Formats: sequence, C-alpha cells, structure tokens
Amino acid sequence: MSQQNSIVGAEKGIRKKITHGFLYILLIIIAAVQILPLVWLFLFSLKDNQEVFNLPPLALPQDPKWGNYVTVWTEGNIGVYFLNSVIVTGSAVLLTVLLASFVTFAITRMNWKLNKLVLGLFMVGLMIPVHSTLIPLFNFYLNIGLMNHPLSIILTYTAFNLPLTIMILLGFYYTIPRELEEAAIMDGCSVHRMFFRIILPVTAPVVATTAIINMIYNWNEFVFVNTFISSDKYKTLTVGIQNFIGQYSADWGAIGSTLVISILPILLAFVVLSNSIVEGITSGSVKG
Amino acid sequence: MEKKAFKGLLALSIASLVTLAACGGGNSNDENEATGATDSEHNVNEEPKEEVTLDFMHLWPWGSLDIYNKVVNQIIDEFEEINPHITVELELLENEQYKNKLQVISSSNQLPDVGMTWPAGFMEPYVNGEMFTPLDDILDDGLRDDFVTGTLEAYEMNGNSYALPLELNIAPVFYNQAMFEEYGLEVPETYDDFLHVIDTFVENDIAPIALGNRDRWTGSLWYMYLADRIGGADALNSAIDRSGSFEDERLIEAAEKIQDMVDREAFIRGLNGLSDQEAKSEFMNSNAAMYLIGSWDLPNYTTNEEVSQEFRDNVGFFKFPVVEGGEGDINSWVGGPGVGLFVAENSDVKDEAKEFVKYFVQEWDKISVEEAGVIPGTQVDTSQVDLPDLFIEVLDELNNASDITLFADVQMSPAVAETHLNMIQTLFGGEVSPEDFAKEHEEALSAED
Amino acid sequence: MNKIMSDKMIIALYTLPALMLILVLIYVPIVLTGYYGLMDWDGIGQMTFIGLENYRVLMTDSMFWRSAYHSLLLAVFSVLSLIIYLAVSVVLSANIRGADIFRKVYLIPMLLSSVAIAQLWMRIYHPSNGVMNRFLMSIGIDNPPLWLSDTNIVLFAIFVPILWQYAGFYIIIYYAALKNIPKELVEAAKIDGATPLQIAYKIKLPLISGIIKVTIVLAVIGSLKYFDLIYVMTDGGPSGASEVMASYMYKLAFRTNDFGYGSAIGFFLLVLILLVTYFIRKLTASKDDNVQY
Repeated sequence: MSQQNSIVGAEKGIRKKITHGFLYILLIIIAAVQILPLVWLFLFSLKDNQEVFNLPPLALPQDPKWGNYVTVWTEGNIGVYFLNSVIVTGSAVLLTVLLASFVTFAITRMNWKLNKLVLGLFMVGLMIPVHSTLIPLFNFYLNIGLMNHPLSIILTYTAFNLPLTIMILLGFYYTIPRELEEAAIMDGCSVHRMFFRIILPVTAPVVATTAIINMIYNWNEFVFVNTFISSDKYKTLTVGIQNFIGQYSADWGAIGSTLVISILPILLAFVVLSNSIVEGITSGSVKG
Repeated sequence: MEKKAFKGLLALSIASLVTLAACGGGNSNDENEATGATDSEHNVNEEPKEEVTLDFMHLWPWGSLDIYNKVVNQIIDEFEEINPHITVELELLENEQYKNKLQVISSSNQLPDVGMTWPAGFMEPYVNGEMFTPLDDILDDGLRDDFVTGTLEAYEMNGNSYALPLELNIAPVFYNQAMFEEYGLEVPETYDDFLHVIDTFVENDIAPIALGNRDRWTGSLWYMYLADRIGGADALNSAIDRSGSFEDERLIEAAEKIQDMVDREAFIRGLNGLSDQEAKSEFMNSNAAMYLIGSWDLPNYTTNEEVSQEFRDNVGFFKFPVVEGGEGDINSWVGGPGVGLFVAENSDVKDEAKEFVKYFVQEWDKISVEEAGVIPGTQVDTSQVDLPDLFIEVLDELNNASDITLFADVQMSPAVAETHLNMIQTLFGGEVSPEDFAKEHEEALSAED
Repeated sequence: MNKIMSDKMIIALYTLPALMLILVLIYVPIVLTGYYGLMDWDGIGQMTFIGLENYRVLMTDSMFWRSAYHSLLLAVFSVLSLIIYLAVSVVLSANIRGADIFRKVYLIPMLLSSVAIAQLWMRIYHPSNGVMNRFLMSIGIDNPPLWLSDTNIVLFAIFVPILWQYAGFYIIIYYAALKNIPKELVEAAKIDGATPLQIAYKIKLPLISGIIKVTIVLAVIGSLKYFDLIYVMTDGGPSGASEVMASYMYKLAFRTNDFGYGSAIGFFLLVLILLVTYFIRKLTASKDDNVQY
C-alpha cells in the first residue's frame, strides 16, 4: 500500500519534471523568437538597398555597411531629434502618469456623485480614430499659437494616453485595501500627503507598467509630430526616419540605422522601469 | 581612440547642423547668428529692403540617395545671395506625409508661401478652393516657351497655370541585356515578339517581368501601354475626358491582354502583395529580366555607385512593343510631369514667392539633369550635357515622342483614380472579367459628371 | 473620514486638469468630426451642408461594410489571443528560474515601431525569398501561399503581426496584475494542496478578473480602430481584401478628398465602438463586480 503510494509519488515527480522541462524548452523557444527581431534589425542596419531586399533577413551582409551609421549621424539632424524625443516623451509620460493617477484616485477612493460619468468621459476618449482629429487639432493649436511648438505634441500625447492609462490604473486601485487610507486619515494625514506618500508608492508597479506603455507609444509616434511641427529643430526621431525616404526610392540601410539608434534608449529605459514592476510590489506589500 | 572618433562624429554632426541652418533648415534666430556677419555687410552695401521670410515646403529630404535635396539647397543659397533680404525657410516631409499635411494645413488656409504639387487630379481641389495663385504673369515674359509641350498644360485649370513643372518622365521597359543574350533573345518590337520573350523566360524558370503591384500605379502603367498600343492615345484619353466611353472594345481588349500575360506567368509571383521597391530589387538582382518604370529610375542604372558596375552595364531599355493591328504608335509614351512649384494664394509675400519659383525653375532646368539626374520640364539639349549614354538615349526618345499620355491615376480625379487603381489590382489578381473592369471604370467616371 | 474623502475642492483639483485636456483635445475634435460628417467637403475648399446624406451613402457602401467585417474579425482574434497572453503571464509570474529574463525578452517586440515591424514581416512573407516560404519550400511544398497577395489569405496573414505586436502590451499588464496578488493567498492554497493549475484557475484569475475585463475592452477598441500595419504592409489591398474601417476612412479623407464622408465614417466608428463596448460590459458584468468601468 505504502509502496504503491510512493510509486505514484515518484511518477508524479517525474511527470512534474517532464512538464517543467517541456515548459522550459517552450519558454526558451519563444524567447529566441522574440529576440530575433532585434538581431534582424541590427543586421538590417548594416545592409545596403540591394542586400536588404535580397539577403535572407538573418544573413550577414558581405561587408557590413557601418557607413550607414555615419550617414545617419552626419547627414540627418539626428542629435537634435534624439534630444527632442527624450524631452517630449519624458514630459508627456510624467504628465500623463501623474494626471491619470490623480483622476483614478479621485474616481476610486473619493466619494462624489459624478465619478462614473467622468470615468465614462475618459473612456470615450479612447474611441476616436486618430486621423479624424488632425484637422480640428491643427486648427486649435493654430488659434492658441502653439503651432510648431513642442508643447502641442506633449499636450496631445498626454490627452490621448490619459484614457488608456486611467483604465489600466483603475483595476489596480480597486485592489488597494480601504484600511490603508483609513489608518492614514486616523493618523491625521491630509489627502495630498496620503496620495503622494501612500497611494503612489503602493501603486508603483502599475505606474511603472503604464509608464512603459506610454513611453513606447510616445517614442514611436509620428502623425502628430508631422502635423503640428514644421521646424526641424523641434522634430523627433520618428520623423528623422523620413529623411531617408525619397520620392521614388529610400535608403533602407540608413533607415535601419536610425531605427537601431532610436530603439537603444527605449530599451534601456524599459529594462530599468520593468525592474521596478517587481521591486514596487515587494515594497508595497511590506507597507500593506 | 574611441573618444577621438566620437569627437570626430560630433564635429561632423555640428558641421552639418551649421550647414543646415545656413540653408534655412533651422529657425530664423539661428540663422541670424550663423549668417549675421554677411547679413550686415549686405545691408550696408545695398539699399535696405524689408526683411522677408519665404516658407518653402518640399518632399525631397536629405537622405543620402537623394541628390535632389542638394540641388534644391544650392539654388536656395544662390537665391538668398542675390536677394539678401529674403530668407527661405524649409520644411521637408516624405511623400505620403507631405500629401497628408498639405491637406490638413489647407483646411486652415495655412499653406506655405511656396510648395510642391502634382498636376491635374491632385491639384484640382486646391485650385477650386483658391489655394494656389495663377502664375501666368511670370510665364508670359518668355518662360512659357521653355517648357516641353504638354508639361505646363498638366498644371492648367480654367485657362490659368497654377504650378511650374520640375520634372518630366516617360516610362521605358528596362531590361537585362545579359539575360536576353543568354537565351538568344532580341528586343521585341511587336507584342508577339514580346510574348515570345516572356514564354522563353518562363520555360527556363526565370521570372520575365518584375512588377510590384501593391503600389497599384505600377500595374496601371502596363494597362495604359496596352490600351495605347491597341487603341491609340485617343482611346483612354477620351474615356477619361468623357468624350468617349470606358466600355470601348479596345480598352476591354487591353484588359484581356493583361490577364493573358498574368496567365502566362509573365510577372513575378505574388505581385499584388509586393511593393515597387521589392519588385525593383528582383530586377536589380537579375532575378527578373524586365522592369517597366519611370525615367526617374535612370540614376540607378547609370550613376548610382551602390549598384554594381556589371549590372549597370547590362541594363538597356526598349519602347513598349506595338500590337499588330492596333492604332498605337511605338513612339507614344506613358509618362508626364511629376511635381511642380506652386505659390500660395494667401501668401503675404506673393511677389517674392513668384520671383523665387521663377528663379528656381530657371536654375533647376540648368543643373537638375547633370547634378541630380532629374529630367526637368524644359527642353534638354542632349548635345550640350554630359550624361551617361543610357540617359542620353532616353532624353532623345523624349524629344522624339509622338505623344505622352499622362499617368492615368494623375489624370483622373482622386476618387476615380482610387477606383482605377483598385480595379488594376483586381485585374492583375484575375478576380474581375475585362468587361466588368471596364464597366466599373465607366460607372466611376460617369458618377463624376 | 468620509468628510475628508468628499472634499469637493480636492476632487476638482485632482480631476479638472486631466478633464480639461481631454475635453479640449479629444471632445472638440469628436464634435467637429460629427459636424464635418454632415458636410460635403473635400477638406480644402468650401463646405456644403448635406444633412445625413453621408450616412445614407454609408449604409449601402459595400466597401465600408466589408472593412467593418474585417475590423470585427480582428477584434474577435484579438480577444481570443488574450488567452495566450494570460497563460504566458501566469507562467512568467510564477517563481520559475529566469522568469525575470524571460519576461524582459518577451516584451522586446513591443518596443519596435510599426515601421520596423512592417519591414520585418514583409521580409517574412516575401513570396520567393521570405523566411516563411523558404521554409515551406525546403520541406517540399512547391507552391507555398502568397501571403500578402492572395485575397483569401492576406487578412489572416496580416493579423499575425498585429496580434504579435500587442502581445507585450497585454503581457506586461497581466504580469503586473498577477504580481499584485498577495503572496499569502497563494501560499495558503499551496498548503491546502492545490496544484499550480488550480491556483492559477481558482485563485489568480478571479482576483485579476477586473483587469481582464479592462483588457478585453482595450483589445476590442484597439482592433476596431486599428490602422498602422495594414496601412504600411498592404494598404488595405489587394482589392480591399485587407481593408479595415480606419484605413478606409483614411483613404476617403486624405486620398480621394472626400473629407466629409471620411468624417462621417470616423464618427460612425466612434458610435459603433461605444455600442460594442457597452455590450461587452453587459456581457462581462457580474454581481460581485467591484470594478466599475
């Protein structure tokens, strides 16, 4: 009887190991597939127009065209674009995450009648197709004198990402135990203090998550930049790519190099921010 | 070592920034700093004129393949030197984004002082909306005669000219001479010869023609040529200008021939999902023997150092073959002007803007062929220019052309063009009968009346 | 407690800045889109009021309904794909070795811009030297599919990169939600002898049901107004076989100068999304639902 039990136990253990092993292999295969695009992009950036189209995507070019990077750095205005991308993305992400946290806090934690209506207003904001907004927004910025001003894209990014950010934050705010605030208020904490000292730190993981999502969206956006910005000195990296698209042909190698250069900072920021998804949790649970 | 390299790069990029600013790429403050010294000198020497800024929006960014951009900047520099009180401010956008932005800014009547437009159908809403100003006054003092007949006319509406053409193209069939030789093939002069060439390549497992029909206007070129060779220039033109009908037998026959070619596997596999660029690379890597494209592609087969010398030496071109019994002439081409310069109607510096476009086309015509490989809208004397042979041959053909039929999608209004381009893709995909193909066109065209 | 948490000043202070932003930058364009939709306008010249004419045309515009069907199909696939992303997130959030690295690597494609993703997948789908067809030919399939030019396949071919593009987005949200579950709950279940599968199914999923509902709504909204890769990779073609509502609207508004009609479609799209979202909320609502979105 006991023998049989142990056999069953051993079988279970083996089966568990096999499933685990299988799971691992699967995870590794998916990981390899997911990392290939980066490798491809890098190789792409070292090819010339002929090689881009005719070599297999992961083939090494015969003689790597490092010159593509030189072209990009010297002929394009890339340093300026780069800085603009950082400034615009950074400010819009900060503004969005902060404003969205305020709103989500007010909607989920504070008591007022119109909260559902306000939430509904934000949700509808997700539903308009971007291209419908171009002409009205152009007119608006023209009238208030923000045309060809970086503020126009920062504000637009913030407005268009607020609904999404609020929706993601919402699900997490509902899981914060009420006792947390009650205790804080008992201690004589003001609402502001509570928000900044307790709520924001507790929601740090999801704030980091939304920051990553916002960052990626803003960094890669180009329709608004093209429409509202005309001076080269305010343009961003995504627009820089267009410099290599001609009327009848394009310089694909240079486009590849620009793409590689533009993905590096966001990769770095992503790694840093995504660490805080985990760290935030642990620090949050200590307090909770 | 690394540091040094970085510094070098930095210096280079700073240098390019300065050049850009000097070319009018930056904002006006930067320019004043960079060129402040020369400005004040000019001001001392010449009678003071009011400082004006000209906004100029174009679609030739400085990506390294595009020599156009350098020529543009060169002309602007010269213009600014002659007119020190005028500063030209540039805004550059890529093709699609350019069209997009032009419409958005027009809705608020905010066009730049000078910009680029395409002729005919594209231009129509802008002219109807009184966005462009007529340029006849600057054409009338002799400039008009410089242009090749038919180019300026493409920018005419209601008896006025609204833009000055910068480029003129015809579409030859480029072919790989080495591949033709290998199979003992000669340049086809008739459609039957042409089918023989196609069949020979197919038998030898070689794709005869590279065609990227995802872009749709590429397939339209093939249809237009067949329509021209079967029905003469008149058949298609009269269908579009409504003096005739698209359900013309000759236009239906042209559609039948397209499908016959598709059935013979004349074109590369998966053509409807391939972009023109992808198709072009099949030709340039000798995977396909022929490629029909506008003469704007000539630098690729002559001067572009990135393309192997061997391949460039192998490229020739031929005129689209005649169809036996057809009304078409072998010297009739599909082509037409590309972009032209417009001056905005509400520009507050209209005089300077007109002066600028006039100066621009005159200079452009002098240097564009040799410097940028662009065929301008004006007559080019091939004995006077220093160009590769292939280039000269195409220019000679252009000068001898009996007729140039404007690209159908340009000729038509945007809405009809969209139907046309969609039907072209459907025709090549074998999903519509030639009769229905013509019928759909006829319906779209008559809906516009 | 209640008094402090009902302070109108603080509520206004916290919500008004964001509210102002979306009212001006999103609601004004929505209203104007509705207004343009009543006009015959090329986007450039004079407008003419034509009432509901654009909507009348819309009702019988077969091309629009075809693209609407494609968009709805994408929405269905997007929602179904959430199951996979959820499964991946559950695995990643478990304490397996290397989970941290896996997680980061899995999210990498999300960083790529649409331009890069489109280029990559055009290389993959190329009819003769694409990765896919080279592979198929190497295992003896002589006539592999023409992924982007076969009108029967193209729509599904283009769904793959779209779904793949958004995988990281959903995985990162699920991951954060799963990590937010108090460890004590999972530990307690383990002590009671629950298998990992049971824990995932019985404990973790119910706890994150709120965020799952949010992602369903996001997937549907995102799909119905999807534009990017379709525009770059197929331009809606061949012959409209991969056209979706947003790409069709774009063509009308910006290529064929039918801005009025394009705006009508944009407005209709908004109403359609609103209705679909409402139904999803009704469908997924439950009694103990504390997430009131």
